[in-house]
Amino acid sequence: MRAFNPISVAVLLGLCVGWSVVAAASDTSGTMRVGDMQYGNGLDPRGWTPLVDPDADGMSWLHAGTLRTPSGALYPYPNAPLGDKPLAPGSDWTYWGLLQLGYIHLNGDRNAEFFRQYTDWKNGAALGLLAVGLNNTKTGSYVEFRGSRISSDDQYYRLRAGRYGSYRVEAFYRDIPHTVSTAAYPLWNGVGGTNLTLPAGLTPGDSTVAAVQQASRDAARREIKLTRTRTGLSVEGGLYRNWVGFASITNEERNGDRLWGGPMFFNFAFPSTGSPYGGNGGVLETVRPIDFTTTDVNLGLRNVGKLWHFNALYTGSFFRDHKDYLNYQNPFLVSPVVGVPAAGLVTNGQFSLEPDNDYHNLRLELSRELTWRGELSLAAAYGTMRQDDDLLPPVNCTGTLGFSAGPLQQLIPCADWNTSAALSKTSANARIDTHLLDAKVSFHPTNAFAWHADLRYYQEDNKTRYLSYNPITGQYGYISENGSQGTVVPGEVGIFDNGYYNTSNVQIASIPFGYQDTLFELGTDWNPSRSNTLGLTYTYDHDQPKHRERSRLDEQRIKLTWSNRAVGRATLRASFEYGDRDGGKYNYDPYLAYYSASLPGYVPADGIAPTAFTVDAMRKYDMSDRKEAKAKLIVLYPLGETSTLTSTFYGTRDHYDAPVGRQNTSTTGFTASWDWQPGPQTTGSAYIGVESTHLKLANVADNEALVDEPGGENADLGGPFYPLENYWHDLDNERDYNAGITFAHDFGRVRLDLGWNYTQSLSKMNYDYASPGALTHPEAATPDGVGAFPNNHYRSSTFNAGLTFPVVRNVSVRLFGSYQSGSFLDWHYLGFDDTLVYDHRIYTDEGPQLHYSVTTLGVMLNVKL
Amino acid sequence: MRTDMVLPALFCLAWSFPVLAQEAAPAASRAAPPPAFLDLRGQQPIAGDAHAGAGKVTVCAACHGQQGTAVVPALANLGGQPATYLYVQLKAFKGGERTDAVMNGQAALLSDADMRDIAAYFAGFPPAIHGGGDDGSAGARLYRDGDPARGIPPCQGCHGADGLGPRPEKRQAPQPPWSTFPHLAGQSVTFMTKALGDYRSGARAGTSNARIMQGVAQALTDEDIQALGAYLSSR
Repeated sequence: MRAFNPISVAVLLGLCVGWSVVAAASDTSGTMRVGDMQYGNGLDPRGWTPLVDPDADGMSWLHAGTLRTPSGALYPYPNAPLGDKPLAPGSDWTYWGLLQLGYIHLNGDRNAEFFRQYTDWKNGAALGLLAVGLNNTKTGSYVEFRGSRISSDDQYYRLRAGRYGSYRVEAFYRDIPHTVSTAAYPLWNGVGGTNLTLPAGLTPGDSTVAAVQQASRDAARREIKLTRTRTGLSVEGGLYRNWVGFASITNEERNGDRLWGGPMFFNFAFPSTGSPYGGNGGVLETVRPIDFTTTDVNLGLRNVGKLWHFNALYTGSFFRDHKDYLNYQNPFLVSPVVGVPAAGLVTNGQFSLEPDNDYHNLRLELSRELTWRGELSLAAAYGTMRQDDDLLPPVNCTGTLGFSAGPLQQLIPCADWNTSAALSKTSANARIDTHLLDAKVSFHPTNAFAWHADLRYYQEDNKTRYLSYNPITGQYGYISENGSQGTVVPGEVGIFDNGYYNTSNVQIASIPFGYQDTLFELGTDWNPSRSNTLGLTYTYDHDQPKHRERSRLDEQRIKLTWSNRAVGRATLRASFEYGDRDGGKYNYDPYLAYYSASLPGYVPADGIAPTAFTVDAMRKYDMSDRKEAKAKLIVLYPLGETSTLTSTFYGTRDHYDAPVGRQNTSTTGFTASWDWQPGPQTTGSAYIGVESTHLKLANVADNEALVDEPGGENADLGGPFYPLENYWHDLDNERDYNAGITFAHDFGRVRLDLGWNYTQSLSKMNYDYASPGALTHPEAATPDGVGAFPNNHYRSSTFNAGLTFPVVRNVSVRLFGSYQSGSFLDWHYLGFDDTLVYDHRIYTDEGPQLHYSVTTLGVMLNVKL
Repeated sequence: MRTDMVLPALFCLAWSFPVLAQEAAPAASRAAPPPAFLDLRGQQPIAGDAHAGAGKVTVCAACHGQQGTAVVPALANLGGQPATYLYVQLKAFKGGERTDAVMNGQAALLSDADMRDIAAYFAGFPPAIHGGGDDGSAGARLYRDGDPARGIPPCQGCHGADGLGPRPEKRQAPQPPWSTFPHLAGQSVTFMTKALGDYRSGARAGTSNARIMQGVAQALTDEDIQALGAYLSSR
């Protein structure tokens, strides 16, 4: 007779015995994946805390207390049964339920951005939780409803029904808020719509800076936020014998607004010279509408046979943007630098917003058991992403922009460009197809040895082709920056032709980026002893990008893992990974075919070759040679039978072979946690985490004096256009700290829970440079050639406390409060206390509050139904 | 028959009839679990004085045999059982966590030392096994492999591959109270049928071990119980 390990069987038995309890209260989402995994909110992130009552009987009748996981962590106490009652005398149906209803009151900076970010806190009544369940112990059928409401923009409701082992149906509705800013001062009228117009007192394209500043001061403060409204329905069940099918549909509406841009060409290069109309160009922070619908469809079919397993999955995602464009008025005067009047005022700008698009993916998987406890898995997938939205005209201006000055006849007749007839085609017809083939085998010939191999091929085929060609004018390219650039600078309208613009080198076509990737992996696991496991995995990744700086990238990676349980009661898990990436010849400018310099009729200005696309020593971080090392050590140590100490040390080092570009990154971190669970009545934990990251990059400023001059075509690092005197480095340093403490104890009559969370992030950007020539503002140079931007920091601290006590049978009260405080400093927002308008730059978001504190108090009545 | 055995023998007969009658009673009438509960999960192996126990088993032996082999098939064979198992059963009878018209009264008279000594006494005898059993039978398969599809774990996990108790490996993880689990080899079909029936109906649910068996027995059919009884009685 084959003997079972009695402990293993006993554990299995315990789980079987305990399952009926756990299943009644667990929150598994199964395979359907409709909706969200987590249904909590700011009031109760876990989503079902009022239902959680640790079961004093522990997790198994086989042994007291709780067990530890294979790696040594304590399992939590299971939840006590929910107290099912018969629905009616003699009925097989039982029910349980809980209603938590109460009142929330806020004190302090209740509109602080970081306080409101993901919760729509309000003073007033709130539904903490309404949960009702029906169970049929005879048939295994069940119905469960759960809901919570903080406000009409922050609520969720979910209904599940089914029969265990047979089918399940789920439907949900949810509103999730996301506040981006609580201190925004948009000066335009029509915020939330697609047409932003200037308020009375401002003249489009012809306002003084003082008038714009006044309009900004007069603008009302408002929130910039959006709400995600999600609804879904899914069904899963057995179809025939071993065939299981599922179908789900989820619809998400996103409504609101967000901060956006509004380019009218550079401003920093044209500072104010004392004119009431300020400098030139314009940089506008606008507000755009969010009005999206995303519908996701999942259909699946699987068969789990004794030998063969089959899985088919269709995923469809359909995005619809109900706002196609954003028009905005520009208040600033945009004028030619050559000292002549503009042909017309640049009064309007336009953005084309996200197009409607469809995504389809069909994936088939087949796996079969093999000898030596092996398995063969095959997968194939085809996906396609398509969008064919109508294209907007290049500009929305009227009249004529640009200027005329002697030989500079740079006029932009808007009528030739503000119509869809100015496009080479009227709709996008964009499409990217993906293909995947994946074959894996794994074998466990002995208990001490296993190996696996994987061969994977993935292709992303970009079939999108768009040529920027205006059939009306016969010109290539695109009117850049709403016509403002061409109004300011000679020769920079953004278009090419065989006449006036025959020296203009501009992008004329979309670049169909794509790639195909082949990956091979071979790995083994070996147990040299009962308490040691070693793993070794080798990976070879061959990537062939399309239309990129390299046509081939090869990366080899090797990963070593070791787990050990021989040092006292500790479990150690260590891993080290090393990767080395190189590739084919690096072409710093592979895009010539997509620029007008490749077109017949292109004439280099004054016989000078086009200005260098970039410096030849530039190596983009995803294309450069790279050596990467990663290490991690996790130590888990049981302290007695009721607590566990866990520490993790980790680090990553990347070195990029790039004289110009990203050069090094590193991350070093440490976390430690202590979990204490002396009994079902008491739990405690403490956590601390520290992480430090560094990023170093190098670049070289071009010699602006040589643009369109001899030498400007020279891409050499150290050449006349990219001299070493203009070389500079940037070093980003960031350090993050996290800490937390929790404690909960049930005193019998009263349950107390306490919690504290702390997060701090500090960042600093240092730089050095070879000479003042490297700087945009050489006058800011220091003698030692080094500098730093002011430090940024973010800090948040939250203390929570709650008391729950019974009032009468089945009724209890929960009193709770939290105190959240924080501080924030980002030098990008410095100076906004004075004005949000600087020269031709309009800022809308004043930024998060520098300091804030909020107290939340609440009382909830819990009624067990 | 010795005269001092007459009274205990009458007890045995009196006990047997309600047992048999109870088998036929509607399940609903037995569904309410006993209010008292004995948690055995922290039970350590006990020690007793077998010699002293020999002087305390006169009444016990009338039904369960002088060496622990029951005189009627409805009753348990006690010989060779773990002393701790026997002790906790007596303790459960005394405390009311296990109910039986005869045994509750008998155990009520025993001190804790008496129970330890009696347990040690019967544990010292070899089990009444037959050494047979058809390993290919339905009962053997169920005992050996369980039936995962129906949620039935293999019995051998707790009762040993040969029905004479588990041989657990030493580990640091919390251990089940192995010494409180009975040996099943050699128990009669009648006794096994009643025991498993009581677990299934909830009549026997007053200890943590009984809660384990409740979960198992609820998945067993009458045929399963008969097959298991037939297999184990022939072991």
